[in-house]
Amino acid sequence: MRPENYEAIKQPPSNEFELNFGPNHPGIEGNYAFRVKLNGDEVLSARADAGYLHRGFEKLMEGRLWIQNIALVPRICVPDPVPMEVCYSLAIEELCGLEIPERAMWLRVMQLEMSRLAAHLFAFGGHAATTGMYTPMFWGVADRDLILDRFEELTGGRVYSIYNIPGGVRRDMPDGFLDRLGTLLDYLDSRLPDYDSLFFRNQVFIKRARDVGAMTQEQALKWGVTGPNLRATGLAFDVRRDDPYLVYDKIDFDIVTEPGGDALSRNLVRRAELKQSIRILRQIIKHLPSVKGAVRCPIPNPLAWNVPAGETYTRVESSKGELAYYVVSNGGDKPYRVHVRGPSSMHAVQVLEKLAVGSRLEDVAQIMFSLDACPPEVDR
Amino acid sequence: MNELDKIPVRQELSVAEGNVKRSNPLANVFDELVRFCQSRSMFMLHYCTGCGAIELPPAMTSRFDMERLGIQPMVTPRQADILLITGYVSVKTLKRIILTYEQMPSPKYVIGICSCTVNGGMYWQSYATAKVLKEYLPVDIYIAGCMPRPEAVISGLRDLMGDIKSGRADNWKRYFQNYDHYLGNQQKLFGEDWQTPTDIIAEAEHYGLMTDQTLGEHTALLQKHQQPLEALEFSLGEKREKIQGENPREKNNE
Repeated sequence: MRPENYEAIKQPPSNEFELNFGPNHPGIEGNYAFRVKLNGDEVLSARADAGYLHRGFEKLMEGRLWIQNIALVPRICVPDPVPMEVCYSLAIEELCGLEIPERAMWLRVMQLEMSRLAAHLFAFGGHAATTGMYTPMFWGVADRDLILDRFEELTGGRVYSIYNIPGGVRRDMPDGFLDRLGTLLDYLDSRLPDYDSLFFRNQVFIKRARDVGAMTQEQALKWGVTGPNLRATGLAFDVRRDDPYLVYDKIDFDIVTEPGGDALSRNLVRRAELKQSIRILRQIIKHLPSVKGAVRCPIPNPLAWNVPAGETYTRVESSKGELAYYVVSNGGDKPYRVHVRGPSSMHAVQVLEKLAVGSRLEDVAQIMFSLDACPPEVDR
Repeated sequence: MNELDKIPVRQELSVAEGNVKRSNPLANVFDELVRFCQSRSMFMLHYCTGCGAIELPPAMTSRFDMERLGIQPMVTPRQADILLITGYVSVKTLKRIILTYEQMPSPKYVIGICSCTVNGGMYWQSYATAKVLKEYLPVDIYIAGCMPRPEAVISGLRDLMGDIKSGRADNWKRYFQNYDHYLGNQQKLFGEDWQTPTDIIAEAEHYGLMTDQTLGEHTALLQKHQQPLEALEFSLGEKREKIQGENPREKNNE
């Protein structure tokens, strides 16, 4: 018998609950978190919780000299740091009207493609680990380390090279570098069929990743998706071809697309780009010895370098997508404003929030890794 | 009375100080055995707090292979021994790090990787990062470099293993012994109503590590602001918004 003034308290349905996914979670890429609302294991809504890696880069860069920022920019995206340096250097060169020597351009493209190879190997390794396959991760990381060895030989740094400066690159490559790079490329090329049979054509992976986190081409364009994720929806757009920078217009390569738009297609695009990067690097090895000359043009004293007033927007294709710098100078020795357009901030926040809805909880990590989002670049 | 009965059955092996006279002659042997086992089975919390974490996959996987030293990643703080702080810590991350550290069972060790944990590194002038890690947590080993190579990481971990084996790595006790100091620094950064759901003072009493510096003005402030722990409410919709407005602990977590 209920009392007269009894009123049942309205409770939310008991099958719905919220989970904090990250930041301390093996399925999350880097230091990043999600708040997912679940019904059973189906995701009803997801909310990104970024800011764990915020360092205030754009503010820090306003307080340092133009040349000092070169050491700062690669820290924005840790797995793929070279495009950051190159893009920032391109912006300064455009503001100053510097013409960099052709040899420096080829050296830059060589590094960019090596960095892309390393980042893609790391990305699909991480994706394999989220689907429970640890062997591809071990292989990917081990092969990436061989590329880092070549980076160390060329630049002196394994991860952060700080080799590209406004006006060119720091120094020429060591003797016999191209031979060793060629040997490495032969090795990586011979590994690709192994990766195929272990991972990309593995039914375990295909059944897990097909139709997971799928988006259409219209959605991708609306949400600001770029890079391999956009090419996985069937649109052949690549900054390297459509807005060529450095010497990409002299290099022969294909823009690979996949029609699916799901996690599987995104990985297959990365797999094909491994092949294309190896192809580009082989052309560079063939062509680079014939390009003679200096590797850097004369620049004013970098400690008292007043870059002419103006503003510019430069973009390059990083392994994550379209990376751009908007740089404003007021004629001083420090930047007036630097804005970084990082591809991951679109992928990891707005796209991932939408793609996660309707998927299952165990696929959220997979979707994040298939988008190849880079949390330090999201937070900056 | 039998001679054997005089020997106490249970010894607090892990918290025994070096200068304490032990009644059981075997206790020191046990201590050494326990420390040897601890140094050879270290579980490292899987938490990538900064950019130095990119050198951990090579260190863990086949090329440098940390696992041959008995070091393995572990997903939960409750089962981990080592907290690796890989690089800069933003203020938002530092709250999570402190909470994670307090959840880990003793003995626990903190390793600060990269120069950012030593003195702020590249981000010495950043508004968003905490500069010196040892002000907030007792750090056992620093591995300097930006970023340290996998060899350096493994060498640092080997140093820690040696310290654990010889009993020198007892910095986790300092957190209990000087809790007021660490809490004061945390309150300076996060505001004076900063609190975590863990009860460090009760733990210090449990381990017998209460000193003059455990309690002080900052812990008094903590007790003033501390609220009884509520059951976690996974509430949705209107009710949740109402709670967010009222609960000061919700504010801390942001």
